[in-house]
Amino acid sequence: MSKRLVNLARWLVFALAVLVLNFPVIATAITSLKSEAEITTNASLIIEAPTLANYAAVFAMADRFDILHFLTNSLVASLIGSALAIALAFPAAYAMARFNVGRAWLLPLVVNLRAVPLIIFAIPIYLMYQQVGLLDTRFGLALILALVNVPLVLVLLASSIADLPIEIEEAGRVDGAGTLRLLAYVVAPMSLNVVAASSVLAFIYSWNEFLFGLIMTTNKATPVSVGASFFFAASGGGVRWGVAAAVMILATLPPLVIGLVMYRQIGRSMTAGAVKG
Amino acid sequence: MAEIEYKSVAKSFDQVSVITDLNLTVGDGEFVVFVGPSGCGKSTALRMIAGLEEASAGDIRIGNRSMAGLAPSERNVAMVFQSYALYPHMTVAGNIAFPLKMAGRPAAEIADRVKEAADILNLGPYLDRRPAQLSGGQRQRVALGRAIVRHPDVFLFDEPLSNLDADLRVSMRAEIMSLRQRIRATMIYVTHDQTEAMTMGDRIAVFAPLKDGYQRSLMQIGTPDELYDRPANLFVARFLGSPKMNLVACHGGDRLRFGSLDLDAEAPAGDTLLGVRPEDLSLQDAGVAGLAGRIRLVESLGAEYYVHVETEEGELVVRVMDRSRRPVSGEAVSLRPNRQALHLFAKTSGERLPRR
Repeated sequence: MSKRLVNLARWLVFALAVLVLNFPVIATAITSLKSEAEITTNASLIIEAPTLANYAAVFAMADRFDILHFLTNSLVASLIGSALAIALAFPAAYAMARFNVGRAWLLPLVVNLRAVPLIIFAIPIYLMYQQVGLLDTRFGLALILALVNVPLVLVLLASSIADLPIEIEEAGRVDGAGTLRLLAYVVAPMSLNVVAASSVLAFIYSWNEFLFGLIMTTNKATPVSVGASFFFAASGGGVRWGVAAAVMILATLPPLVIGLVMYRQIGRSMTAGAVKG
Repeated sequence: MAEIEYKSVAKSFDQVSVITDLNLTVGDGEFVVFVGPSGCGKSTALRMIAGLEEASAGDIRIGNRSMAGLAPSERNVAMVFQSYALYPHMTVAGNIAFPLKMAGRPAAEIADRVKEAADILNLGPYLDRRPAQLSGGQRQRVALGRAIVRHPDVFLFDEPLSNLDADLRVSMRAEIMSLRQRIRATMIYVTHDQTEAMTMGDRIAVFAPLKDGYQRSLMQIGTPDELYDRPANLFVARFLGSPKMNLVACHGGDRLRFGSLDLDAEAPAGDTLLGVRPEDLSLQDAGVAGLAGRIRLVESLGAEYYVHVETEEGELVVRVMDRSRRPVSGEAVSLRPNRQALHLFAKTSGERLPRR
């Protein structure tokens, strides 16, 4: 009996925490489901007449602002951007963790680069992109996103590779694997959980990136972080809060789904049973 | 064919010397055990054969081919690690097949040889499991399987049984020995356990830790009996044997004496230590010529007693196999050595001295 009470109390606390921490999200989701009229009259979390009219309005504007186009741009650029970051950082992280290549200076340097306001890079990159025709392309945006992600991914991968039991790699070398095959057959499979975690983080950072999305794209490759803002004043006059809320919810869904799908992978230990623990 | 040679090999880590002037030849098909206390460089010596460590000086040769600059993958050696070091993401079959896969063998051959190795090690029922689903002994058998599947020239074992509990250790020891009967490859086995060393090795190499002030790494190499019966120095004398060899200072005079007993030999010049193994001492009634003392403690091991006797030369341990009368602590006794089994060592250099 008392155990059930404790459980109940526990869930109440959970629920309260979820409510408080996610209040902005919940409020946005609820607003997106209210009619324009109700938004002005009813500020409560209870919806009197739920409606999908705001979502319909978002898709109805496709001739001017195509939400699906923005979402596709973001999805493509973010996927390429995070995959590229992992592909670049993984061998580098291995070299740093195991061969001490640049561990003393390159890693801190790369990480500190992340602390520099990105706007500093905007003008040179813009001029370079202009020269090579990467302006307003998904791939151009993806390249920048990859660079933005490399520091974080590198730190995560380097520290996790350093924590892998080194005997397994030694066994791999004695068993006839050179460094490349060791990376492919032994180190990478053991690092899947960290790769998954850093991919998710990189994807989320890419998805939310605004600055370069704004500067480097005009139309063809505009990501949803920038595109969503177009809807705020879409009808000329004041902000249409219902439409804005609907756009925000749509823009939040892909990273949310990816995070949930990858979550199980992240929590798994990849080295169980490999060495005497 | 796969003779292993250390030629004046030295190894240091960040200025700290771990191995110095190591000269040693392991014959083709020989089973040599490297033994010594922790920090003596025995594992480092092994890892240098595998190519996991680079020698700081000297040359290592396998089959008369210098290993300098060769990657571990180019040396055709197999290694079994203390921590098993299995690939956690592969099945047992995948683990055993891995070296063959790296060597680019055809799939059919890999399947045959994995099956062969699994049969030898009774791993058949576990081939589809992952390491996490196996017990410690099974994991170490997988590691053995991964080593034998390649038919390598050289097998290296780095304390493979240290993580196993006592029962399992004994049965795995037997398993490795029977493996050895099937596979006539050159094997080097590192351990800190002298029982393993004595029972498994054709020859034993005893290593000393340089950090404790020893001037060379390899203190002695020889058959288990040679090392036990004629230790070349105090280090080996103390290291092998349990309980340890008793060491008694020889006092001046030109005759070698043990208490009141004249040992019928000339005493060597200089400070000398006389060594007697516990089984080479016998308990006599008090008053008989020998070293007088009083029993302080009797340890019963079932088959035998270890009797600790307090004497003016310090505490000596006697191994008593005769169980007809249990020694009693407090009893006054006289200790008598077996004259055929005495060891003499120079006190300062620690080297064995000839009997005169």
